Amino acid sequence: MHLHVASAYSLRYGVAPPAALAARAADLGLETLALTDRDGLYGAVRHVRACGAAGIGAVVGADLGFAGGERVVVLAEGRAGWRSLCRLVTAAHAAGERGHPVTTRELVGAHSEGLVVLLGSASDVGRAIAARRPDLASRLLGAWRATAETVIEIVDHHDVGDGHRAARMLALARSSGVPAVLANAVRYLEPADHPVAQVLDVTRRLVPLDRRHLDDRTGHAYLKSVPQMRRVAELFCGPDDAAELLAETRRLSERCVLDPGRDLQMDAVHLPDTGADPHARLAARCGEGMLRRGLAGSRRAEARLADELGVIARKGLASYFLTVADAAALIRSRGIRCAIRGSGAGSLVNHLLGIGDLDPLRHDLVMERFLADSREGLPDIDLDVESARRLEAYEALFGRYGAGGTACVSMMETYRARSAIRDVGNAVGLPPQEIDAIAKAFPHIRASQIGAALHDLPELRQSNLSQGRLDVLFRIAERLDGLPRHIAMHPCGVLLSNATLRDRVPVEQSALGFPMSQFDKDDVEEMGLLKLDVIGVRMQSAMAHAVAEVARTTGEEIDLEAVPRDDPDTYTLIRTSRTLGCFQIESPGQRELIGRLQPWDLDDLVIDISLFRPGPVNSDMVSPFLDARAGVREPDYPHPDLEPVLRESLGVVVFHEQVLRVLDVMTGCGLSLAEAARRSLNHERGQAVVGAWFREKALARGYDEATVERVWRTLTAFGAFGFCKAHAASFALPTYQSAWLKRHHTAAFYAGVLTHDPGMYPKRVILDDARHFGVPILPLDVNRSAPDWHAEPVSDGGATGIRVALNEVRGISDAEVGAIVGARPYASLTDFWRRARVSRPTAERLVLAGAFDALYAGDEQVPRRDLLCRVGALDRVTARRGPAVPEGQLALGHEDGDGDPSAFAEPVPLGELPPMTPAEIVEAELDVLGMDVSRHVLGFYDGLLDGLGIVRAAALPGRPAGSDVLVAGVKVATQTPAVRSGQRVIFATLDDSTGPVDLAFFESVQEHCAATVFGSWLLVVRGRVRHAGARAVSITATACWDLNTLYGEWRHGGMDAVRTAMARRWPRPRPVGRRVVQPTGFAMSPYSDIGHAGPAVKRAPLWHAGGGSSGPSPN
Amino acid sequence: MAHVFGDRVDVRVSDGRPVRFVWRGRLYRVRRVLEHWVTTRDWWRERHPDGEATGEREFWRVEATPDREIGVYELRYDAVSDSWLLSRVWD
Repeated sequence: MHLHVASAYSLRYGVAPPAALAARAADLGLETLALTDRDGLYGAVRHVRACGAAGIGAVVGADLGFAGGERVVVLAEGRAGWRSLCRLVTAAHAAGERGHPVTTRELVGAHSEGLVVLLGSASDVGRAIAARRPDLASRLLGAWRATAETVIEIVDHHDVGDGHRAARMLALARSSGVPAVLANAVRYLEPADHPVAQVLDVTRRLVPLDRRHLDDRTGHAYLKSVPQMRRVAELFCGPDDAAELLAETRRLSERCVLDPGRDLQMDAVHLPDTGADPHARLAARCGEGMLRRGLAGSRRAEARLADELGVIARKGLASYFLTVADAAALIRSRGIRCAIRGSGAGSLVNHLLGIGDLDPLRHDLVMERFLADSREGLPDIDLDVESARRLEAYEALFGRYGAGGTACVSMMETYRARSAIRDVGNAVGLPPQEIDAIAKAFPHIRASQIGAALHDLPELRQSNLSQGRLDVLFRIAERLDGLPRHIAMHPCGVLLSNATLRDRVPVEQSALGFPMSQFDKDDVEEMGLLKLDVIGVRMQSAMAHAVAEVARTTGEEIDLEAVPRDDPDTYTLIRTSRTLGCFQIESPGQRELIGRLQPWDLDDLVIDISLFRPGPVNSDMVSPFLDARAGVREPDYPHPDLEPVLRESLGVVVFHEQVLRVLDVMTGCGLSLAEAARRSLNHERGQAVVGAWFREKALARGYDEATVERVWRTLTAFGAFGFCKAHAASFALPTYQSAWLKRHHTAAFYAGVLTHDPGMYPKRVILDDARHFGVPILPLDVNRSAPDWHAEPVSDGGATGIRVALNEVRGISDAEVGAIVGARPYASLTDFWRRARVSRPTAERLVLAGAFDALYAGDEQVPRRDLLCRVGALDRVTARRGPAVPEGQLALGHEDGDGDPSAFAEPVPLGELPPMTPAEIVEAELDVLGMDVSRHVLGFYDGLLDGLGIVRAAALPGRPAGSDVLVAGVKVATQTPAVRSGQRVIFATLDDSTGPVDLAFFESVQEHCAATVFGSWLLVVRGRVRHAGARAVSITATACWDLNTLYGEWRHGGMDAVRTAMARRWPRPRPVGRRVVQPTGFAMSPYSDIGHAGPAVKRAPLWHAGGGSSGPSPN
Repeated sequence: MAHVFGDRVDVRVSDGRPVRFVWRGRLYRVRRVLEHWVTTRDWWRERHPDGEATGEREFWRVEATPDREIGVYELRYDAVSDSWLLSRVWD
């Protein structure tokens, strides 16, 4: 019935998600519903699915914008219409600038097959009618009729004059013999939603809320029922014409209903062409792989291969595997590191084709988690590549499969608390600084949580925001929750298909210039398209950089994949927990776990990575496992039959693969069915069904009730949170490789980590770690620093240091870095100024960070402040004479101009400025480089810290458990992960120059600590010592203070003033929000695992990233 | 010449539109609806709006007559207070 409907996928215009519209339409008794989003088909697949689920017919079209602001709706009829619609939308985006598609009548004409054009009040015809130019209107209408099938669309939102215009539109249709339909240009579900649409109107236009800026002034753009629509029509044209309009509308709707299978071909798979008989070629290549991998003759391998090929043949997926193998080989042929991640590592076929490097048989990985008859759709193979070269990998794929058959996958960024507050703040006209402060006061929560967070979080309760003044702002911001606000390129998905791709997928350009599908990752799966996830992993780049540095400095060529995976020195390093910078095992929680688990080989790392998950933590698997491993207690198997399955993890269920095997052993269902059952475990309904089935089968096979109950409890507690072992194994490899590099090529390792910044800590922490490992930190030097961090031997045969990179200088451009490196060496500052031609701020920052110190060391030492004056003088001379001062005309650069004051228009005498103190030098380094290079920043507070009796990180392991200590340091990380109790626990890590100090703030202390923890950079914390394993210590915090505040007190009033400041009383604690209990029984704080309030401390997700294959993310 | 009033009126509605109203003790019959439009409230100007700001105002400009004399009257319906006003009169 409704032919003109915008969903929330009409960015900053529509309000309701497609599924809600379809459900409401069905409730209203409508038989069909169109989705005609603005300039895109972003919601089309969801709409078609939702209509299918709601039992109504789906019509799809688009509301296309013209250069003059006019709009027409086009609807697709049948398969030809869908193809035309996809191609027309793509063409409109190609015609306009990125993000501003422009349609023309000619463009519509070029794709008119199967399209119906609706000319409404926003069309050129509608505008002519509004302007009372019937002559012009009928001329324009004639042009449209010559272009495509044309229908007049009549909308009346009851704004002033709407009724009369509607009547005139109808009269035009009648007089020219064009069919007319009734529509409501729907933007939201119900009248009460209109304020959201109004806010979107002004945020789209970047203007304040005012009636004159609103498209929607009447609140009538909602999904109306047929009787409501009839009444609208009767008001402007009377009952007879109204009935005819409705009938015509129904006829057109029915004509344009699309069939998902026949018209959209959602029931087929559209793979790249791989030539004739793909299965035979796949089998042959697997055979070659068996020889190459040394598996020929292994009966186990042959049986497994036959199994996998059987499933592949039944599902017709040979082309899929050939394509992925081709893509992985293509990426590697460019010299880009490429590793498989996720469940795909469990497939022998992937191993044999060279897609993955791990032998699934050796690591006991099952294929059914990845590939089984019971799994629907295409399997999911993810490739990890070097983050710095990800786009290069994309380009290779586009080159290979052709721009017409390839596209990146998009994703919708949606409104969250901060973005919603920013947009609504602008709309209600708050000053920008105030908006910024308000937005940043919130943690990275959903917009719908704003009100709850104001009430729950101590750091917000104390912020004056919750006093009612901003009520309207927050209420409207909450209503933007989850609305799409921006389309972006998905960070990893690439579609590989054939030349028909553009017939089924609308494409626009991404910010990086790649063709990007308007469909997101779920949509493309529904559309039967192969999506390859090519994930940029910074650690892969860091390792590639380290390997290149080793080759550059020593000539040694390392093949990381060939490094033996049992190097004892590497595991010795890992067991010390000094694993900062290593893949996956550097977070405080992981270092604690590593300390307790004490890994000896790759399988231990696989277990470690899998245990560090909410699931195992929740079902209390960690302690029994660690106890059994330490020999404190015997492994406990629920039943002897399960011992072979659970032996590797000493009786504890850790892996998805074990869930499959436990189900198989106790029910005899086979692994394929077990995989289907496992997937049902992550929702309540599925759990009930699988539970009943499991009990019945297991009891029938003779297992006693107690055992069955116990096993079932374990499986449900494990829920969806467990880890895919194949995924953990594919992570364990780079974990090992990075630790191996840290142990054996320490300087090169740090150069890689500092250049590509793969981890969770700020770089200054990594730098400090390098210091602890005895790696000399070589200062910035215009003659020696490279664009990136380099390893550099300090002396022949001596230690290898790392040289600060030019790219670290704040504000320096790539062009400047290139110019500096290109014109080296420099004899003096003047020489540098003349030839490197950098901007004055860059030159000043280089001076301040010490990049010229080496040039002016020794007898002719010139302090940095004097050099800074010279930059100013040089700049003034250049400004007067123009940048291209011919040599010789001025004494610039003559000999060493710096020694010759006559070179300067303003002589700069030496030695009159005081040299920078060490504190000033560190301050300059923090400002310019963002890290303290010459010495640790905490050193300047030593007097106060000694007076307070601060315990250093290095001394903490010697403190008895439960003792009260004061610690201090630079905050380097804060996290609020999901923990067993469901509390919001703030974990913070301080760095105090002797090592990291790990802190836990429980809810009982957050009332007085949260604001300080999130808001301060330097902290003093009181707490109790807790030992976790042999070496790891963490502090349960009871109080904290801003170090600089205490320092101020100390400077003014000495230790007494400090003690007074620290003795102030705290407010009473209260709980931080309600618990959210998952279907699995896992209680979580609603504020767990989110970015915190205040400025960012660098942070990465606590749990392993990676969607589908590793189970859902914890929030 | 338009006169602006703000008098409460009793309005009889049939089939979604006003058909009769009583103003200052006289009964007016609506002969014809000339114009009908609605507006939403400026909810963002209201400091503490109670609940959601969804109320609309509906305007009807009608030809109506108490006897033989025809005039143009503008009636305003406020959804929040569920009340009618006579907002303007042309005679």
